[in-house]
Amino acid sequence: MADVEYGVGIGWRPEISGFVAELPGLRFAEVVAESVHAHGDLPAGLSELLERGVTVIPHGVRLGLGGAEAVDPDRVRHLATVAERVGAPLVSEHIAFVRAGGVEAGHLLPLPRSRDAVDAMVANVRRTQAELAVPIALEPIAALFDWPDDELSEADFITEILDRTGAHLLLDIANVYANARNRGTDPLELLDKLPLDRIAYVHVAGGDEHDGLYHDTHTHATPQPVLDLITELCRRHRPPALMLERDGDYPPAGELRSELDAIAAASGYHPIT
Amino acid sequence: MRLHNEAMQDTWGIPGPVFIRLYVVALVILAVGYAIHRRRSFKGTPDPLIGNLGPQQVAFLNGGDRLAIYAALGGLRAAGLIGTGPQHTLVQTGPLTAGVTPLDAAIHNAAGRQARSRDLGADQWVRSSLDQLREGLERRGLAVSRSALRALKLWSFGAGALLVIGVLRAIAGMDNNKPIGFLAFAMFGTVILLVVISKTSRTATIAAQKGMTELRSRHSHLSPQHSPAYATYGAAGAAMGVALYGAASLYSMDPAFAAEAEIQRAAAAGGSSGGDSTSYSCSSSSSCSSSSSCGGGSSCGGGGGCGG
Repeated sequence: MADVEYGVGIGWRPEISGFVAELPGLRFAEVVAESVHAHGDLPAGLSELLERGVTVIPHGVRLGLGGAEAVDPDRVRHLATVAERVGAPLVSEHIAFVRAGGVEAGHLLPLPRSRDAVDAMVANVRRTQAELAVPIALEPIAALFDWPDDELSEADFITEILDRTGAHLLLDIANVYANARNRGTDPLELLDKLPLDRIAYVHVAGGDEHDGLYHDTHTHATPQPVLDLITELCRRHRPPALMLERDGDYPPAGELRSELDAIAAASGYHPIT
Repeated sequence: MRLHNEAMQDTWGIPGPVFIRLYVVALVILAVGYAIHRRRSFKGTPDPLIGNLGPQQVAFLNGGDRLAIYAALGGLRAAGLIGTGPQHTLVQTGPLTAGVTPLDAAIHNAAGRQARSRDLGADQWVRSSLDQLREGLERRGLAVSRSALRALKLWSFGAGALLVIGVLRAIAGMDNNKPIGFLAFAMFGTVILLVVISKTSRTATIAAQKGMTELRSRHSHLSPQHSPAYATYGAAGAAMGVALYGAASLYSMDPAFAAEAEIQRAAAAGGSSGGDSTSYSCSSSSSCSSSSSCGGGSSCGGGGGCGG
């Protein structure tokens, strides 16, 4: 993934599969790994994309690599099988935990940036890598709060995990924006400290402000500051691929297309619409 | 004398085994004749341009007038041009835009008069747009004409007459203390044939149905089971979803509107079953006639079972 330039892509969702299928310049898309059956038929729209030669990246959301307990081998096997089925050059997951003590959180929770958390995360990533035939990219998540016992800066925390596992980075530029804005820090500072050459691809999404906090909703249009941040990122080191992540409240096709065009313009890649 | 007596006891002077054979032969001839006629009438013309059909045309082929109306309602609703008022009436919520079909215009107009969706089929303007839609499809060999359907229904007279003969014979036979078990069985077959003939109300030709299967796979993203993003697919996508996947699409797109407008959920629920509408009983007989050229006829009519 890191040595081929894919340009602009989009997160494939069944709800908009007809829209994705008609993007003439599309070269890569991401699919939520848990939404693909390990054995049954592939979703119709997805197999069409594969036939067209579009690269499809499985994106796990339920592995819980950051959990204190060992990652569930069945879930890892599923991710590996899906990657094999779609011929993916790479898979991705989050630097987060989704369950603890048998209780499912139902969404991604941020890890405390402690050495213990790094150790637990690294152990789980290694267990996962042992089952995977392709590399994995890890995505830091948006957090509305910081744990009180953080020992590492965000950049050090991410870099240490990547260094110790050899994993790639899936950078969510909207999260970088959201975290900086909610903490009152400078997003460019984080960009300058992250190993940008390790980026496999970039997530771009919209969000909304609520009670003074910016929420990375994936159900709103990508705001201009996030697009500006893409330009800043590409000025430092242009990632091989960037993709729009939209997860609901889908707008008319025209609006989605202009959002994809805006990402292309901000990154200097060819428009895919 | 004894021989004479036995002959006297034959109902209508025809021995039972002879009568039942004649009856079954007549039934099989009717069933096979009907199946062949039906197959010819529904053959249609393969249309390489079937992909260019508009949603309302597809809807008509898939579920007749009612589904064509629902497809138009879906398109108009997705475009924000109609809504619901009190007492399940339709109301206009925006002015018509350019490029709408005559049926869109007719329904939008009816909404301006607060018509109810269930009364749309009786609206004069809607009626004439539907006729126009149908005639276009007939010319392309995609829909069966009303006159061809009427001609096909004439077979019910033959089946009806056979049934009457059977009933009379059964009554006479019972009076004569003769067994009528085989006859009752054959009459049951006749009733099935009669029901199949009189229930035929589908309009899509076999050529059109093949095209429809193609359209359904091309537009599989509009199947309600994928909860399609209708806002993204636009009014045309919404209408095509209703056309191919039935009224369930309207409920998936806008449940409040669909319920308020009293949309009948069961209308042409095609799609998931991969076949035609479930509300049209003709679909089962059509699959008979398409599965085999004449063997299907006998199984349709139930005549084959009776002959044995």
